[in-house]
Amino acid sequence: MESLITFLRLTLLSMVPFVLAAQGTMLGGRAGVFNVAQEGIMLVGASLGFIGSYLAGGSTLVGILAAMLVGGIFGLALAYFTTSLKMNQFVIGLSLLFIGTGLSTLIPKLVIGVTLSQPLIPTLKDLPIPLLSNIPFLGRVLFSHNILVYFSILLSIGLWYFLFRTQLGLELRSVGENPNAADSLGINTSKHRYVTAVLGGMLIGLAGAYLPMVYTGTFTEGMVKGRGWLTIALTFFAGWSPLPVLYGSLFFAGIEVASYRFQAGGIAIPYQYLLMVPYLATILVMMFTFRKTRVPGFLGNNYDREKRSL
Amino acid sequence: MEKEAILELRNIRKVFDKTVALDSVSFSLYPGEIHGLLGGNGAGKTTLMNILYGLYRKDDGEIDFHGKKLNIQGPRDAINHGIGMVHQHFLQIGNYTVLENIVLGTNVAHPGTMKLDAEANKIIELGNRFRLPVDPNAVVDTLPVGTRQKVEILKALYRGVEVLILDEPTTNLTPQEVDDLFESLRVIVNEGLSIVFITHKLREVLHVCDRITVLREGRNITSLTRAEASEEIFVRAMVGDQMNIEDSVYFSHGSMANTAVDESSNPALEMQNVSWKTKEGISRLSGLNFQIKRGELFGVAGVAGNGQRELAECVTGVIIPTDGRILMDGRDVTALPVCELLKGRISYIPEDRLHDGFLPKANVAQNLILGYHRQKPYCEGVFIKWNTVYDKVRDAIGEYKIKTNGPEDPGGNLSGGNIQRVMIARAFSMDSQVLVAHNPTRGLDIPSMDFVYNKMLERKKTGAATLLISEDLDELLLICDRVAVLYRGQIVGILDRKDFDKYAIGRLMSGIQAEETADLRAAS
Repeated sequence: MESLITFLRLTLLSMVPFVLAAQGTMLGGRAGVFNVAQEGIMLVGASLGFIGSYLAGGSTLVGILAAMLVGGIFGLALAYFTTSLKMNQFVIGLSLLFIGTGLSTLIPKLVIGVTLSQPLIPTLKDLPIPLLSNIPFLGRVLFSHNILVYFSILLSIGLWYFLFRTQLGLELRSVGENPNAADSLGINTSKHRYVTAVLGGMLIGLAGAYLPMVYTGTFTEGMVKGRGWLTIALTFFAGWSPLPVLYGSLFFAGIEVASYRFQAGGIAIPYQYLLMVPYLATILVMMFTFRKTRVPGFLGNNYDREKRSL
Repeated sequence: MEKEAILELRNIRKVFDKTVALDSVSFSLYPGEIHGLLGGNGAGKTTLMNILYGLYRKDDGEIDFHGKKLNIQGPRDAINHGIGMVHQHFLQIGNYTVLENIVLGTNVAHPGTMKLDAEANKIIELGNRFRLPVDPNAVVDTLPVGTRQKVEILKALYRGVEVLILDEPTTNLTPQEVDDLFESLRVIVNEGLSIVFITHKLREVLHVCDRITVLREGRNITSLTRAEASEEIFVRAMVGDQMNIEDSVYFSHGSMANTAVDESSNPALEMQNVSWKTKEGISRLSGLNFQIKRGELFGVAGVAGNGQRELAECVTGVIIPTDGRILMDGRDVTALPVCELLKGRISYIPEDRLHDGFLPKANVAQNLILGYHRQKPYCEGVFIKWNTVYDKVRDAIGEYKIKTNGPEDPGGNLSGGNIQRVMIARAFSMDSQVLVAHNPTRGLDIPSMDFVYNKMLERKKTGAATLLISEDLDELLLICDRVAVLYRGQIVGILDRKDFDKYAIGRLMSGIQAEETADLRAAS
């Protein structure tokens, strides 16, 4: 029983970076901007989240804001190069990925210098919800977590409502499906693309900051460990919809936690195999669900009003 | 009756890269009229109206609306001023409902919850008033083309437009649907709105328009009322002096098509129970049976998406039928690879020239021999004989009037109409037993269409057969010996030339007869 509670608690805890990054990806994609720089943006978000918090004397809030700011700047760059300059989204995304990866290790070296052991920042505290956290079992699994766990769940529900139950959501989705149609009805396609790409970038940056702020208390090189890439797969198999993104994140987080538990449990399987599990799971899940999911019709393309089609 | 024009476009000029699309074009619209904007492909009709609707910026000229100068920056300005446009390729979100498509971009009563009952009622009311009935909750992708067009018109009416622009609205409609559309347009103008009707079809213009303006190559040619107009005048206005109208097939009303068909020998092409299913098991063609005789021009009519593409690809070997046999000259060719079929048996003008027929990065010469590049005279052993190729290609460029800087010009530099000419030149460059032509005249001007018709009719003399799959019913009736109608992957009727009747074919195209027979079968 105790180990089940721990497993579920850890799963919810590990779900957060997946949820934040995938919702950020989904949001941009709904306006047609396909971000592939998650890994880089998460790394730079982790790096700056750590440094921001460190320089502000351990303030978590400053760290979070720094990570979201840098994520937003990356999102803005993606929007500018693709929407205003009409450059290829994948090429720009990959460039941003490498810039982010490079900056993530460069900045700590410049700010903190090379030290034998990295300084630590305080990690996010659990905020048990009064009354609810006293419920046996559920209280500990669901209602005594850090604030970003609650935020990521509320964000998913909020995004679902926004996309499918509001006029602005209807307009946003139309930009990602058929910008010709949206434009002909007076909808500002560029504005939608800019806003969602920036907000999406901020969420992805925040997802990165979660890693030092909850897991390790410090930044280490390459600490995102492929979660950014998994996010892309996750967003696809969730069909670019907020609620399936949440369920999918739980699934990936569950596998991640399970693979660490097995390692710790000393089962006689070389740990390299266990590290493969999340990626193998991705391929298997994609094989079975991918055909049924749909993607926004204009995903990854740039819209140019005066371009004449042949 | 001197009425005040509500809309005046004066001396509009538009240049794309280096091509002048519109050169000082003027146009005026009176309240309560249907004004036809007539011209061939590339005449600038759509460009002119896209400028009015704010999709393109004009390089020069003025627009007056209600006597005041109008400055339009984008579609939103046009809509706010009461100008609406229905594009030829519908601008709809396929996975949205009719209701969502119509209210998109307007301010709804409950933007925070999207309870759209009031909006749905307004759409139903508009539909009844203008004879455009639609179900607001249907998903647009599931609707037939005719209904999707009603949605598109309702979209403009819902926004309370005064001026409605329709770009080639009859493409893909059956003759019955065209009549319904014209009836609705009358109701709309009777309520005081004005309509601009863009088309290249003379007969439609004469049938429904009050006034007509003709454009050619981006210039005004003439403006006439219907009383002054005749087909003859428009023909000359549209084609200028580039062709001899008396000798043309296009204006011959079908008298040029002869019906000499070689009945004695094996049919050039025989389809025996040919069916094709997608990987998911969805049937696209079921049980096709027909024969095309030597020297016959066999037409296939139908609303787009009823299996035409699959039929063309089965015959040309691109896809292999999941059931049934295809015979050519009595020989089974069902599973022969495409490269074998291309050796004198089949030539193909695909419908989707950009995806299936053309390499934009390759040059014109390479595009012109594509598919035949393994055969003599282009190839000897494993080497391509480029001298021969370039000689032949230069001839083709001249004969088919392909506008290009030469055989080494990249294909992507050609305009849509010229790419189509390359497709046609390639298909006619080698002798073939059966030519499969899918919408071969799409994007061509009248003289070029005429040229293609002549080429197809010439094939009859040598006993070669042609399978012409077209969405243009007039074209089929003009030159075919027989016309089959494809509906949901089945042939629902084959008519001989003497029985050709536009409305009968239209009924078959919309599946009416097919369902009646099915009902009879169910009853008995």
